[in-house]
Formats: sequence, structure tokens, C-alpha cells
Amino acid sequence: MLEQIARVLLWLSLGEIAAKSSLWPLPAPVTGLILLYAELAIRGRLPDDLGILADRLLQFLGMLFVPAGVGVIAYLDVFKTEATPILAAVIGGTAITLFVTMVVVNRLGRTIAISREPGSERVEGAARDVNA
Amino acid sequence: MSTLDLTNLTWVSLADQPILETGATVFAFLAATRISRLGGNHPLLNPTLLAIVLISLGLEATHIPYKTYLRGADPIHFMLGPAVVLLAVPLFRQRAVIRASARLIAVGLGVGLPVGVLSAVGIAWVMGARSQTILSLAPKSVTAGIAVGISEQIGGLQTLTIVLVIMTGITGAVLGPLIARLARIDDPRVVGLTMGIASHGIGTARALQINEVAGAFSGLGMGLNGVLTAILLPLIFQLF
Repeated sequence: MLEQIARVLLWLSLGEIAAKSSLWPLPAPVTGLILLYAELAIRGRLPDDLGILADRLLQFLGMLFVPAGVGVIAYLDVFKTEATPILAAVIGGTAITLFVTMVVVNRLGRTIAISREPGSERVEGAARDVNA
Repeated sequence: MSTLDLTNLTWVSLADQPILETGATVFAFLAATRISRLGGNHPLLNPTLLAIVLISLGLEATHIPYKTYLRGADPIHFMLGPAVVLLAVPLFRQRAVIRASARLIAVGLGVGLPVGVLSAVGIAWVMGARSQTILSLAPKSVTAGIAVGISEQIGGLQTLTIVLVIMTGITGAVLGPLIARLARIDDPRVVGLTMGIASHGIGTARALQINEVAGAFSGLGMGLNGVLTAILLPLIFQLF
């Protein structure tokens, strides 16, 4: 397990070093993600411990946003003056993005799912969870 | 007297260490998860949102400034980096599905990225927001780590962008499953991908609750959208 933690920190550190140079535009975690994926793709298999580590940490990914998220309320006074356009842009814009993207992608997804997709049973099973 | 001193000492050492804030955050999220489960995992009972409300009420009650809390909760904030790296794991597990859906993903990004930026910028502009606010809004769908960098490059306010990114994430996590139901879309690839593109990590955390397919596509949508927006947005804003 420690080996896997070291692996994650290694790729993250390399991402951080890359981010220090002005030529590399991506933040460290994104570079780390790409590097880890590349390593796994080259190896062709996922170490068991790494899978367990990912499952455990990603299970509470939502918690990791809480400290930054509390800033929403702490900074509320700062942009109270523009609350209406901000809320309209965030909520309205996100709703438009979700709806338009889902509808357009679903049109294409359906045609692909019909033409091929032997694993569609699993997708359908998962779909039930979405509606649950 | 000596007991009192000891209590004070313990309190001081606790206040110096990040244990209190970190512990409070974990406890708040645990409580939020319980509340959410009691409410049948209703989208409005988003655990992240509930935990944020609980912590904010706690800070309000104890008069602890936000900056003190943020410093104390640093270990949790730190884990965000490794967590983003570990998103490579669900991506790798779902690589066959992802490869079979390359066109779907390309269309998702081709639609979701520009619509995400233009809808936010457009609405704010029409409603008369200041240009700095509009610039801070532009990368709102991108994961916080990347969005801050983009905001700085195009002349937005970093603090405002962080807040807007979190708001967008919660909005997407809450609205994503609702809009999917409204549009009668039940393909977890479509729902996950869209939630990742529109609402980054918080949307991905919600998508992971749906199932691993949705989570993998959400992580992919978030990652690719973040990378592409980081490259494209500063280039586009340079033209103006």
C-alpha cells in the first residue's frame, strides 16, 4: 500500500515540477493524472493495492472540497452586490450546459449503442441506478 | 487550578494543530452523509453542501475566522491533489468502454466546453456584471486547481473563481441527476460525462454515487475539459 501512495506522490511531484516551468500550462494534479494513466496503460494492468487506494480515497472525494467550499459562505459579503448576475450565470449556465450537452450526446450515444455495444446489459443495469 | 491549566494547555495545543478543524470537517461530512442517506440520497441533500453549511454555522457560532479554519483543515485540502491523480484508476478500469465511446466523448467536449463557458459569460454580461466578474466566471466548470490558473491568466479574481467553481460543482451535482431524469436520459456514460464537463470534481463525486461507469466518464469529462479549457480559454481571450 505504501508503495502505491509513493507512486501517486511521485507522479504528483513530477506534475508540480512541470507546473513550475512556465512552458507547461497544466496544474500538478492533472499532469499527475495523465502520468499515472500513461504508466497503467504501458503496464497494461492495475496493481490491486492501487485500486483499493483509489476506491477508498475517491469514496469521500466530496469531503475534500469542503474546506474550499466554506469560502462560499465566508466570502458571501464580498460579492453580494453582484449576487443576481452571479447566481443566474452559475445556476442558469450550469443547467443549460447540462441539458444541452446531455441531449446532444445522448442522440449520438443511442446510435452507437444500437450499432455495437455488446456490454449494453451492464450499462442498462447501471441506468436503473440513475433512475433509482 | 492545575486541572484548569491542563485543560487550557490541551486546548492551546489542539488549537495550534490542524486536528480540530480537520476533525470537525471529517465529522461534519460524516454527519452530512448520514443525513443525506436518511433523506434517501436526495440530490438537494448533497453531502458536500450539507457539510459546508454545518461548518459555516459552526464557524459563525464559535467566531473562528475562515482563514484560521482553512489553515487547520489543510490536510483535507492537501488530499485533493492525490485524489485527482487517482482519478486515473477509474479511467483505466473503464478504458474499453471509453475507447468504444470515443466519438461520444468528443461530442460531449465539443458541445459542453463552449456551452459551459458561453452560457455563464453570456448571462453575466446580459445582466450587467463587471468585466472582472465575467472573467472570473469563464472557467467556472473547470476543476478548482486548473480554474484558478486560468482565471489569473485571463484577468479574473482567483478568490471569486474558487467560490464560483464550488458553486457550479454543487449546482451540477444537484441538478445533474434531476436534468437527466427530466430529459429522460438514463445512459450513465452520458450523465457522467456531462456532469464531469459541467461540474468537475463535485459533479464527479456525485456521479461516482450513481455507479462506476458514470464516475469514470465524469472523471474523464472533468480531466479532458480541464486540460482543454486551460489550453483554449487563454488563447481565445488573447484575441480580445
